[in-house]
Parts: sequence; structure tokens; C-alpha cells
Amino acid sequence: MKSVSFLTDFYYKTLFPALEKLESDRKSLKHRIIFIAITYTAIFAIIAYTLGNFYEFIIFAYIALGGILYKFLVHDYTNEFKISVIKPLIHAIDYTLLYSSKTHVSEYFFEHSQLFDKPDKLSGNDYVKGNIDGINIQFSDIHAEKKNQNSKGRDTWSTIFQGLFIIADFNKHFNGETIVLPDTAQKGFGDVIGHWIQSNNMARDELVKMDDPAFEKEFVVYSTNQIEARYILSHSLMKKLLDFKHKSKQSVYISFIGTHIFMAISYDKDLFEPSVFRSLLDYQVAMEYVKTLHLAISIVEELKLNQKLWSKR
Amino acid sequence: MSVTLIVLIVITLILVLMYNSLIAKKNQVENIFASVDTVLKKRYDLIPNLVASVSKYMEHEKSLLEEVTKLRAEATKPNLSDAHKIALDAKITSTLGSIMVAVEAYPELKANENVMHLQHTLHEVEEQISAARRAYNQAVTDYNNAIEMVPTNFMASLMNYRKKQVFEIVDSERKNVDVKELFN
Repeated sequence: MKSVSFLTDFYYKTLFPALEKLESDRKSLKHRIIFIAITYTAIFAIIAYTLGNFYEFIIFAYIALGGILYKFLVHDYTNEFKISVIKPLIHAIDYTLLYSSKTHVSEYFFEHSQLFDKPDKLSGNDYVKGNIDGINIQFSDIHAEKKNQNSKGRDTWSTIFQGLFIIADFNKHFNGETIVLPDTAQKGFGDVIGHWIQSNNMARDELVKMDDPAFEKEFVVYSTNQIEARYILSHSLMKKLLDFKHKSKQSVYISFIGTHIFMAISYDKDLFEPSVFRSLLDYQVAMEYVKTLHLAISIVEELKLNQKLWSKR
Repeated sequence: MSVTLIVLIVITLILVLMYNSLIAKKNQVENIFASVDTVLKKRYDLIPNLVASVSKYMEHEKSLLEEVTKLRAEATKPNLSDAHKIALDAKITSTLGSIMVAVEAYPELKANENVMHLQHTLHEVEEQISAARRAYNQAVTDYNNAIEMVPTNFMASLMNYRKKQVFEIVDSERKNVDVKELFN
């Protein structure tokens, strides 16, 4: 597995010609967007002034049309960026990995993971699939939403999950279902009440109390089988998951179902998207792409998924 | 009148809940111990095979092999108490550990496919035992907490519940298993 520093070098050295070209595209696009935004706002201001009414409707149209216009303007730039930056970056990690900027992890897997409620709308992009050290892995950016109706009977959409969704082969054989979620109850209500709330969660299987206090503090485990949950979550795996959580600095959801491990890492934005208003050569921007990709692909190594036990050999 | 009745109902309800939770905890311990027993048996079944495959080569470790055979015979006797089984398991774990270390000193054994297979199977079973043991310990801890903590402790002493013993986790299990070493 290539290190983060190797990838950063790759980003600044090998990709430099592509970045330079994109950077000049970005600058002209930025100027164009600013110019169009001013004109656009002025037109709407004039319309609002002449009509002298329907302000609510005008503001709504302004935001909606503005959003569409912006997407249209950055569309080509985004595509160019993914093909000349994200794709080579993924191939630098492992050239056998497949990348598609338009598709995402299938809805079947998302629901099968049992990590979240069934979504009404699932979107996403930047799908990566491949085989690392004999382990099948796939991941993508995912945005799962649920349809709600507000008091006026209008449809509103709320986010169930947004972030990175990873599926990989797991190295142990098991029959039941084990789900590891961020521990919100114990953090919010303290140990005693938190435990009580968790053990009475009707939507989930039996609560499994783990014997690693640090892990137990960050996560809550539900499983169909007390022993199997501990067979999967050995002391060393618990430690690795905890390290992974600390490294990602985000909420991490994990489940073990069938022959797979599912991981969802929550980010509150669309990943691997270029920003028109920040330089591509900015170190922080670069590190974000590199680190997120590295984090997803490194789970095979970090969790030692490639070290199979006898039953799986 | 009605107030006394309500108080009585509430008290009865609390007593019933306490009683049921204690029973549930005791049954959970028994249930999980049954699973522990199953995986322990799996390991006992491997022992004769292992002893047969290595005894030809291991001249200097005869006493270890005899000991593990003796322990196995004792562990497979019927009607053992849980505490006794736990004690025997600890001894078998450490003896098997010593045998596995000794195997490393015999190149013929390390190259032997049968022994390799046994070693891997044993390793897998050890993982299962470790999981079962940890599940059992958690169930026992919940049970022990309930019979020692207020208010369930009064009920528990009335029901004549005694504290149960946990498995001691061997230090080596807390360590990261290095699979590479198994292949070398």
C-alpha cells in the first residue's frame, strides 16, 4: 500500500502539468461565475423592484435557478478534474482499481448493511472497485435521503447518511449479523441510562457489551449472537477499528453481514468534488483528496482483512 | 383503600420485574456456558490427533504430551462442575501453548502438512473459545453485578444465588495474533 506522503508527492509532481492547466481553467471559471452571479442577481433585483410583490416566490426562484445555473457552469470543470486528478490518484494507489465518476455503490448493498433506515432516494458518485491483496473492495460517495411531509403537506427531504460507504470481504466466517454504531446514548446520557436506552432499542438485535472500555465508549454493538459478535470483534480488531475511527475523525458505522464488512464514514459534504473558489495547489485541498482515498483503500491493510483464518482459506 | 392497593400493585410489579431479571441473567449465563462447552469439546477432540501426530518426533516433551492427554481425559468426564471446567480449561490452554512453542523447535514437524493443518484448526478453535469465554465473562459480570447491587441483592440472597466465577483471560490472547508467524 502506498503511503500518504507518496501520494502527496504524486499529486504535486506527476499531476502537476494537469493541475496547472486545471488551475487556469478554474481561475477563468471563477471570474465567469462571479460575473454571471452579479448579472443574475441584478436581473432578479430589477424583477423584484418592478413587480413590487411576490417576494417569497422570487427568492425561491432565485435560489433554485441559481443552483441549476451553478451546476451547469461547473459541470465541465468537475468532469475534467475527476478524469485528470482523481482517476490517476486512484490508479497510483493500485492500477487495477476501477473508477467511475458517475455511479455509486448499489442500493442493495446500502440496505443490506442494515446500518441505516431504508432511504427513499439514494444518490452518489465516485465509485471505486477492485481487489487488493485478494480482498474485494468497493466504495463510493453516498447520499441517502428520506422523504418527510411537513405540516403544510409539502415534501421535504432529510439526510439519513452522507459520506463514504465501503464494502469489503471479511476474513472470518460467520452466520449472524453484527452491527457497530457510534455510541450516542452513553455519551449523551451517561453510562447507566445510556446502557438502559441501548438495551431497549427495539429496532436492533441484542445489545453486546464489549470488554474493551475505550471501544465501548465510542461504539455500541448489536448482534444476533453474543459469541459470534466477540469472535468477529477480537481485541485486536476492536483496537484497529478504534484507531481507524480516530484517524478518520468522523462518525464511523460498521456492520458484519454475510461475508462482508460494511463501513460508512460520515462526512457532511460531497467528497472528491473540486472547489471553484479554492486553489487546487492548496496543500489542504490536496490532502483532503489524498487522505480520504487513502483512508478508504487502506482498510484492507489496517484491519488486516488479508490475513485469513483457517476456515476461510 | 385504593392508595394502598396501588402501592401494593406497584411493589408486586417491582418484585416480579426484579425476580424475572435475575432469572434472565442466570439463564443467560447457563446458555452461554453451554456454547463455551461446545467449543471446548471441539478442542478436546483435536488433542488425541495432535498428540498422535507429534509424539513420534517430540522425545523430550513426552511429559507435556502425557499431561495434556491426562487433562483431556479429566475434562471429558461427565458431571463436572462449571468451576472445575473453567480450571481445567486454563490448564489445557497453557499446556497446549507450551506444546505449540515446542513444535517450533522441530523442522520436520513444521514441514508436516498434517501438523500444519492441526495447528491452524487449533488456532481457529482458540479464537472461537476466546470469543465464547469473553461472552461468558460478560454474562457472569452482569449476573454478579445484579446479585451484589442494591436492590436486586436482597432478592438474590432470598433466591440463594451465589457469585459465579469468570474465566481468566490469558495474557497472550490480548496480544495481536501474528499470522505470518504461523506460516513460517
